[in-house]
Amino acid sequence: MKKHSPVWILAVLVWTLAEAQVPSGDWILQKVDENIGSDNKISHSRMVIHGRRASRTVESRSWIQGDEKSFTEYLAPPREAGTKMLKLEDQLWTYSPSTDRTIRISGHLLRQSVMGSDLSYEDLMEDRKLRDLYAARVSGEEEYDGRVCWVLELTSKEEEVAYHSRKIWVDKERFVALKEDRFAKSGKLLKRTEVKDVQRMEGRWIPRKIVFKDMLKTGEGTEFVLEEVQFNAAIPDHVFSKASLRK
Amino acid sequence: MIKFLFKGLMRDRSRSLFPILTVVIGVMLTVFIYNWINGAQFNFIDSNARFNTGHVKIMSRAYAREADQVPNDLALIGVQSLVDKLQEEYPDMIWTPRIRFGGLLDIPDAEGETREQGPVMGMAVDLLSAGSNEPGIFKLEEALVRGRVPQRAAEILISEDFARRLKVQPGDTATLISVTMQGSMAVANFTVAGTIRFGVEAMDRGAMIADIADIRAALDMEDAAGEILGFFGDFMYRDPQASQITTRFNAAHGDDPDEFVPVMDTLLHQAGMTDLMAMLKMFSGLVLVVFIAVMSLVLWNAGLMGSLRRYGEIGVRLALGETKTHIYRSLIWESLMIGVLGSLIGTAVGLAESYYLQAHGLNIGFMMKNASLFISNVLRAKVSPVSYVIGFIPGLAATFLGSSVSGTGIYRRQTSRLMKELES
Amino acid sequence: MIIPKLALRNLLGAGLRTWLNVVVLSFAFVVIIWTQGLYEGMNAQAERASVDAALGGGQYWQEKYDPLDVFSLEDAHAIVPDSLGAMIAANRATAILVVQGTLYPKGRIHPVMIKGIDPDQQLLSLPSHFLKTGEDRFPALIGSRMAKSTGLKVGDTVTMRWRDAHGTFDARDVEIVQVMKTIVPSIDQGQVWIPLDRLRILAGMEEEAGLVVVAQGALERPEAPGWVFRDLDFLLSDIKQLVRMKSAGAAILYFVLILLAMLAIFDTQVLSIFRRKKEMGTLMAFGFTRGRVIRLFTLEGALHGVLAAVVAALYGIPFLTWFARRGWALPEAMDSYGFAIGEKLFPVYSAGLVVATTLLVLVITTIVSFLPTRKIAKLKPTDALRGRMS
Repeated sequence: MKKHSPVWILAVLVWTLAEAQVPSGDWILQKVDENIGSDNKISHSRMVIHGRRASRTVESRSWIQGDEKSFTEYLAPPREAGTKMLKLEDQLWTYSPSTDRTIRISGHLLRQSVMGSDLSYEDLMEDRKLRDLYAARVSGEEEYDGRVCWVLELTSKEEEVAYHSRKIWVDKERFVALKEDRFAKSGKLLKRTEVKDVQRMEGRWIPRKIVFKDMLKTGEGTEFVLEEVQFNAAIPDHVFSKASLRK
Repeated sequence: MIKFLFKGLMRDRSRSLFPILTVVIGVMLTVFIYNWINGAQFNFIDSNARFNTGHVKIMSRAYAREADQVPNDLALIGVQSLVDKLQEEYPDMIWTPRIRFGGLLDIPDAEGETREQGPVMGMAVDLLSAGSNEPGIFKLEEALVRGRVPQRAAEILISEDFARRLKVQPGDTATLISVTMQGSMAVANFTVAGTIRFGVEAMDRGAMIADIADIRAALDMEDAAGEILGFFGDFMYRDPQASQITTRFNAAHGDDPDEFVPVMDTLLHQAGMTDLMAMLKMFSGLVLVVFIAVMSLVLWNAGLMGSLRRYGEIGVRLALGETKTHIYRSLIWESLMIGVLGSLIGTAVGLAESYYLQAHGLNIGFMMKNASLFISNVLRAKVSPVSYVIGFIPGLAATFLGSSVSGTGIYRRQTSRLMKELES
Repeated sequence: MIIPKLALRNLLGAGLRTWLNVVVLSFAFVVIIWTQGLYEGMNAQAERASVDAALGGGQYWQEKYDPLDVFSLEDAHAIVPDSLGAMIAANRATAILVVQGTLYPKGRIHPVMIKGIDPDQQLLSLPSHFLKTGEDRFPALIGSRMAKSTGLKVGDTVTMRWRDAHGTFDARDVEIVQVMKTIVPSIDQGQVWIPLDRLRILAGMEEEAGLVVVAQGALERPEAPGWVFRDLDFLLSDIKQLVRMKSAGAAILYFVLILLAMLAIFDTQVLSIFRRKKEMGTLMAFGFTRGRVIRLFTLEGALHGVLAAVVAALYGIPFLTWFARRGWALPEAMDSYGFAIGEKLFPVYSAGLVVATTLLVLVITTIVSFLPTRKIAKLKPTDALRGRMS
């Protein structure tokens, strides 16, 4: 992608001049991606899951390389500690230390929720760029949580997508997606993601606290808190192998 | 006089042996059929109770509402103290927690990676702890196809068809992938100890039975359970008593708005079995009435003939100066003695047979596809207190009626004619 | 010909005694036929209900379709082959499309099978015509058990979510247009019925189906590559197994009942042979061989069976007919055992059952009547005339 950047910037420049103030949806999505970056990162995060009876917190550390490879190790609570998950392109494996088994998560299992959260494994698997899957259109400007945002409307360009359309609120200044709604083909709202806290980390604006919610289900949703992130980390290749699950 | 009549009966075999034998057989059949019908009815309730409803069942209110989806996140917690309390309050009853669960059974290959996988529904019961009643309640051996019943921790039984589909042998490892009470992914290794047949297509396609301690560990359900089943100590369901216990238990929590409060329900009330039971009772009652009527007719017949063939003897006795009434009375006494004796022996034999069939059952496996857990192909009788007296109704009443009717012949006939019959 | 006439005359001459035996035996007849009729009725009705409402004359399943395996259902749909399409066009079959989905009654997750059925189909008694609503509504039909477990009632709207053929989520609010009271659990529990056309469009599975139900009485079984025909024996195997077990239990009852009747006949035979020695002596004196005497007495006994059949017919036919017409009102709960019977149980008396029972009773009666007569073989006419048994 980097190779094409100059061409891109030129195109954007020409286009911006022509259309004055309103950038294209694609351009905004591009800016969002650039902010987050697709380089290696190591993060430490916390997930607060609200059940019908009680809430609990799951802690994990992740090693991520680009969009397609990630390795996660759960640290807490004690029951989940040591459970690992490896994602390579469109495949997902989980390893449970108590059974010493590596299980491939496929088919039906992908629809299950991750650790009881409002996120399914499938949601985690999403790695294709929104720009590739959706045609984006800027539908206006709105204020969200005190920040002025571009409102993007995304409609799928391909058939093989989980959500037919999405609506994303992107901070005009920081290019952070602050809110996202995902819709069914019928236009019914299925899932909502809201960023509750944005912080500057290592020179980038990073959503630190995100709430995911399955809108059809009653409940408070799942909170995701990024405790720590390290960009441009050196991650040895062997981390992203099935062998490292058992280590 | 009774002693005299008794001696007469004993010495004249044609007067005693055959009538008594008839009564014995008739009473025996009555007792037996009563127990048989009783057994059929009992088995029906019993298999429901054992595998599904208990005599009473406790669930959390929220769990009960969605029970068909096995919502273990809504399961009862603090189960041990609840069971202890129940055991203290109702020492004659057996209380046992169970967990139902769903998930995937995953069979590893040599590298520990997935070889075969299939959806599974499961039931966790206390199979292994010392003094547990569950092995007796489940009688897993009877439905066993291959291997053996779990004897150690982490051993499970799976359905035979399922095992074949997953290509699993007893002794192989199977990994359960399910969801913990909190919603996390649960993964646990088990050893397939054996395979069984459930007798219900849906379960035979994919089901497992595991020890509750293992499943609690796997699903993070320490001291929790989806349901607590209560059984009367003698495994006889008594609806009034069960209702009473239920009312008392629920009254203690009735006002609590908490959706996780435990609620109790009786066997009959669960799954709308009340009406079904009423129908079964009606059916068995009807069959029984018909049966006793038939039986009474047979014995009456026998009593009647018993008297008919003694007209000759009666003629002699009349000639000797006995009054007709006296003879009539002695005939009735005799028949009563035969009735009592026959009923006693008949009841004893009938009970013996019934007890045998209660313990061993009658295997109709030759008529059925296969033995299974839920649909037993062993039919059993069931002895109840009534079994001890039921035979006396036809036994006594029929012989008494028979001789009373046939004896009236004495009054109708002339002494001279009765004398003449002596010759024959 | 003298023997049958004589036997009948002797038998009828014995009066009360004979009639008692006959009545007892006739009871056995009627009870056996009645109970067995109830079982057969139960079987027939359970089968009929399932056949009428769900199974039809059998079903073609798309090769991956398996109602008990939720994992494979995702792929269990394909374009209806022409051979079956022709049957559907001729109203000799109807297609059903099955898509997995989730219902959200009051925000709770409730997994369901969404089944698309032609609202105009007449093949199944399933009341699909309720789904004939305007395009502005999204109708759904559920069963009473489903209504109970989801808390839904007629007029409610509920959100239903599913994924189309490409895995894209779709969700709509459906309106419960009818809660059908069905006795067949398989079309009720966890099932939501919607119009086939709508489901095909929404799921992106046009012209497709998961199964094709063949009309009852439609005999053609065309080749359909990629589809498997499931006959009723396969689809009804659970019910058949259960009924088989029930009637096995009842067989014991019949056995004991017949035993009981035989006890009465045996008793009568022994007695009459004991009492009628003089008569036998006379018959022999008139030139009857022992064999003929034995035949006479055996026939007398066996005639009990014939008379019993006649008597049983006299009161049994009206009773059994009345019962078959009236049916046995059953409480609703029978189906909680997964057994589709309905509110009334109507016994079914097959000709085979009646003939078999009659033959069985006659044969056994004859054997039982013959056994005591063997004594006659040892009889000396001279002793017999004096009324003595040697």
